[in-house]
Formats: sequence, structure tokens, C-alpha cells
Amino acid sequence: MFPIIRLVNRNLTISINPAFLLWQIIFPVIYIFIAGFAYSSLIQEVPFGTKGLAYPAFLASGMIGFNIMNSTLVSGIIIWNDRKYGMFEQIMSGPFTRPHYILSNICTIGIIGLVSAALIAVIGYPVFFDSIEFSLVTIPLIVFAAVTGSVLFGSIASIIATKLRSSEGFNVILNTAFLFFAFVSTAFYPAAGAPEPLKTAFYLNPLTYLVDIIRAGIFGEVSELVILEMGILAIIATILFIIATKLLTKLDF
Amino acid sequence: MSCIKVDSLSKSYGSIKAVDEITMSVKSGKVFGFLGPNGAGKSTTIKLLTTLIHPSEGSLTILGIDAIKNPLKVRHKIGVVLQQPSYEPTLSVEKSLEKYGMMWNVPKKERKSRMEKLLVDFDLTEFRKKRNEDLSIGQRRRVQVAREFMHDMDLLFLDEPTAGLDPSARRKLLDYLKDRVKTGLTIFFTTHILTEAEYLCDEIAIIDKGKILAIDTPDALKNRFGKEKTIKIHLLENQQEISSLLSGIPDCKIDFNTGTNIIIHSEKSELVLMKVLRILSDNGIKIDDLSAVPTNLEEIFLKMVEENVSNH
Ligand SMILES: Nc1ncnc2c1ncn2[C@@H]1O[C@H](COP(=O)(O)OP(=O)(O)O)[C@@H](O)[C@H]1O
Ligand SMILES: [Mg+2]
Repeated sequence: MFPIIRLVNRNLTISINPAFLLWQIIFPVIYIFIAGFAYSSLIQEVPFGTKGLAYPAFLASGMIGFNIMNSTLVSGIIIWNDRKYGMFEQIMSGPFTRPHYILSNICTIGIIGLVSAALIAVIGYPVFFDSIEFSLVTIPLIVFAAVTGSVLFGSIASIIATKLRSSEGFNVILNTAFLFFAFVSTAFYPAAGAPEPLKTAFYLNPLTYLVDIIRAGIFGEVSELVILEMGILAIIATILFIIATKLLTKLDF
Repeated sequence: MSCIKVDSLSKSYGSIKAVDEITMSVKSGKVFGFLGPNGAGKSTTIKLLTTLIHPSEGSLTILGIDAIKNPLKVRHKIGVVLQQPSYEPTLSVEKSLEKYGMMWNVPKKERKSRMEKLLVDFDLTEFRKKRNEDLSIGQRRRVQVAREFMHDMDLLFLDEPTAGLDPSARRKLLDYLKDRVKTGLTIFFTTHILTEAEYLCDEIAIIDKGKILAIDTPDALKNRFGKEKTIKIHLLENQQEISSLLSGIPDCKIDFNTGTNIIIHSEKSELVLMKVLRILSDNGIKIDDLSAVPTNLEEIFLKMVEENVSNH
């Protein structure tokens, strides 16, 4: 266990800097308040299960999912930098194993995801306030979403990082993929009003599932669909994690 | 006691045998030099010995531990400075030393004092606050080597640690390593620079094309080949037929790089030289310049490598 904690300590040290905090926490919070209230005049209410949500509350809950996904970029960047700057070999020649390395990356993005999501939830609390419905499953659902989401998107970022050596290729592909996940999802706008093909695309995107699960937790609407989504998310996360681990294990020196 | 014991160790990449059945043993408390030209298999050997890669064949015992069965146990006891640069680009020099100590589980107080001492020993105090990405290649190399001394170890692997260092930093590093060996550390050191190996190492293995050509102390290597002299003759004019004229001379090895340069290696240099001079004068060939020097380690090294090439 301790080697993993030491690697997490190192990962956090190299990942957390002012630019990162701005992108990870300040920007989402500002966005919730500005976009949330600016669009409220356009989108009065988002139908959600048996009730309607105010748009700012809908957006803030989507932002938590987006944020969990975004924090996994860190894992891709760590792996890519470690290879580029020779730290991967250095760590692997020290008192660590590849499982230590992989698990420490997951813990790192899990911590960053949970902490920044919690901060956003706390700061954004005023906009949730009306619609929130705490229950026994709220916290477990959010933790499930954070852990599964971290593993899933972290694996995607890690696969991209192990496959691409050039800096341009890595940045372009990683950012394009994550931009696609962010905007072709229900994180920022509801699927309900969207045209049919787009709606289908929304449901080919794991971020949609992630966000649906978080909303179900926060607003207390756990439907059969959500349970199905949890299953699908867990399966995809497992498959991607196995692929990412295989690729990392095969990385040559 | 043997610190490293290697038996018929091989590593193949496809059809390339990067390391080809090497067998050797390294004694504790000594500096063992691995000397060879680029592509000889030095780095691959270091990666095998440090358990970064798996051998294709052979056995490997490091500090009495079977390194193939227990790689992690070995890694806890060794230090490694690889050939390629390794650094955290955004961390400052002092922070990267500190964090490296943390990764090795060195207690916080101890980390601090080691860091301060290493900053001084490696002349890093001036830019201790600078980020690694803002350092020159040589400065970064010094940080990389210094960083490895943040933790305790019984055996240190250094893959061309002086690459990128200026002559004075190079000498300082070698002297630092000598001091550390006096306190009981064992060092496995690779280089393609002979004078370095001669200066630092208690024993030298010459490697080329994945094979060890010789293992001995620097002095013994010199003694073994020390009777040999190198004669260099520079002719005034290009002589194409020269190689056939000189081919009958026994007890020597002659290279004709061009038509004007003749290099002769021989243990009976006086006799050989007389014969060569007679043939040259009989044929009216004029000499521009002539020298005869004892073969130095560098030439032994080059010669062995060349012979190894021609045997292939
Ligand atoms: N990962 C690899 N894949 C294929 N060939 C390799 C690999 N690593 C090393 N080699 C080959 O093995 C040989 C020895 O390389 P190396 O050990 O790096 O030599 P040195 O360190 O002595 O310069 C070279 O021919 C090199 O091209
Ligand atoms: Mg090398």
C-alpha cells in the first residue's frame, strides 16, 4: 500500500499548479453561475423523471460529471510525461511495480475528481438547493460514479498516452476525444429536446451515463434506466481498464 | 563476495542479439567498468541487471538475490542512473531531490540534510530553485546523478553518467564516485570513454556486439597487450600495390586505411619495422613520417572491437 501512497504524493505534486486549479475548479464554478443563470431565460425547466429541474441545478450536476472526467486527463498527462521525460523507466527501476504505478494513477485522478467535484458541489450548493433530495443512496451513487468514471476515462487517457509518442498527436487526440465526450452528452443540456440522431449519440457516450447516475443520486430519481446505466458503465470501465493495463504492462524500455 | 553474478545472459530483439551470452561476476566494494562503442549492448545489459527488461536466456543474481524471480527485492537495494535523461520538468531542482527521497521512503529530516549536502557536492546550489526544464543538459545530468544518492543502496548502476558534462564536472563526478566506493558502495559503470574507465574502474569488461571480449584490471589489460607496439608510417605518395608488397611479413597485423597510411601492430616491432623499411626502400617508396609507440588501452580497445567486427 505505501508505495502507492508515495507515488500518489508525487503525482499530486507534479500535477497541481495554478493553471490546473483554474481549469479544474475556478472555471467550472464560474461557468455554473454565469451560464446557469444566463441560459435560464432560454431553458426554464428541464424535465427529469417525475419532476422538473431548474437549469442551473441541471448544469451544476452535469458539471460534476464533467469534472470527474476532466480530472482523468491528469492520468494521461502523467503517463505521457513520464515516458517523455524518462521518469517511467526511473520509477520502474526503483522500489515500485507496474501495478503500483497504475493504481497510483487511478488513486490520483480519483482524489482529484472527488475533491474538485465536492468543491463544486459545495460552492454550487445554492443552485441545487431547491431540487436536491438527499437519500441513503446519494453518496454511494456519487462515489460509484466518481470511481467508475475515473477508471473509465482514466483508462481512455492512458491508452491514448501509451499509443502516442508525439506531443502534437497526444494533445490533439486527447483533447478532441474529451471535447467530444463533453459536448455530445447530457452534461450541459438535456437529451429530451435534441434531434433523434444526436440523442442516440448521447447514449453512445459514457459521460452521459456518468452524469445520469450523478443526477439520480443528487435529485433522488433512481430509475431502472439508471441501474442499467450503472451496469454498462461498470462493464465498459472494466474492459477499458484491462486494455489500458495490458498496454502499460507491455510498454518497452 | 560477488555482488553481481551473470551466467550466459542474452537478450534478443528480433534477429538482433543485443546481449549475447555474457558471463561475469562483479566483486563488492569495487567499480566495474563496462566499456564498448555505441550499440555494443551496454544499456541493454544495464536494463537486464536492473530488472527493467527480462532476459531471453541466462541467469542473473544481484546481491545474492535471484533477479529474475525477485526483481522488486533487487530494486529495493540498487540505484540506477539510466542513459536517457530523467526528470520532472516542472519541479525545481531541490524539490525534485526532495520528492525523489520521499519516493524512496527516506525520512523527512534525513531527506532535507541529504539534499543540502548533494546540492553542494554536485555544484547545484546556484540553481537549486530553477525548474528542471530550464537547466542545461549538463546541469540536468548532474541533478539526475545527484538525485540517486538521496537514497541508500548497496549497488549503483550508472549508464554513461558523464555524457553531456564538461571536463571539470566529469572529473568531479568521477572523484565523487571514488569517494563513495571507499564507503562500501559497489558501482557498475558504463562508458565508451576509455580514460574514464581507466581512471575509475578496478575491473573493466570490453564489450562489443553483445559479447564480452575481455575482462581484467586496467593494468592487466595493458600488460597483456603491453608488449605490443603500434607503428605508423605515412608515405609521401599513394601506393596501391603496398598491401601485396608487405603481405609476407610475419608476426604482425597491418592496416592500410588509405594508400598512404600504414598502421602496424606487432609484439616484435623492431624486427617488423626493419623488414618493412627494407621492402619500402627496395621498391623506391618514400616515407613522409614514421612513429612507433606502445599500444595504449584505447588502441587495445579499438583493435579488439575491430577484430570482433572482422570475425563476424
Ligand atoms: N528496445 C529495442 N528494440 C530493438 N533493438 C534494440 C532495443 N534496445 C536496443 N536495441 C539494439 O541492441 C543493440 C545494443 O543497444 P544498446 O544496449 O543500447 O547499446 P549501447 O548502450 O552499448 O550503445 C543495438 O543494436 C540496438 O539497436
Ligand atoms: Mg547505451
